[in-house]
Amino acid sequence: MMNITEIESLVPQRFPFLMIDRVVDLKEKEFIKAYKNISINEEYFKGHFPASPVFPGALIAEAMAQAACILLKKSIVDLTATLFYVTNMKIRFFKTVVPGDKLFIKINTVKLARIGGVFETEALVDDNVVAKGEMTFACK
Amino acid sequence: MPEMDAKALEEDLRGIISKIVEIEPEKITLDANFVEDLGMDSMMALEILAGIEKKYKIQVPEEKLGKLVNLKEAMLLTQEYLKS
Repeated sequence: MMNITEIESLVPQRFPFLMIDRVVDLKEKEFIKAYKNISINEEYFKGHFPASPVFPGALIAEAMAQAACILLKKSIVDLTATLFYVTNMKIRFFKTVVPGDKLFIKINTVKLARIGGVFETEALVDDNVVAKGEMTFACK
Repeated sequence: MPEMDAKALEEDLRGIISKIVEIEPEKITLDANFVEDLGMDSMMALEILAGIEKKYKIQVPEEKLGKLVNLKEAMLLTQEYLKS
């Protein structure tokens, strides 16, 4: 278990762009399980969409990227890189995510290296897969 | 894992590389340089290594990334770890 303080020590994003509330499980070099509570109070729901709020797919992808970043940093302890960026992402979206949902993120390592990592990603709400894909991260 | 047919390996690797680099398979000749001829970067090379590991259930150390210079070398690298 990792609380928000430790999460903030591992990812540079902050409100309103921090997409991980809590890490519930992590095995270095293997996987991470985390979640974000989706609240109607989030700024982006004003415009996405006014009459029918939907959590943007791009932010689901961002939550996956932030979880992968935490896994990467916890897995390579002597990593000196300060910049982490996504170089490839292929995600399929299956269901919408709405205010009130708890968005679970699962990341499995496919390949980890000092230059970055390749990950399989999955997002779930109530055990239903809402998005799934692959992501490659580079460290610099 | 038993030693596999070289032609089947060549086609498998060509398929993996083609998908990641987004280039027509026929352009991936045995000697085409991944960087100079196919426009591959280091992160694509990592994805290819990950694809090879996943396909053949093998582990190739990161240090071997530099060996991925063309299809022929990628085949030799894969064969080396299939045997071990």
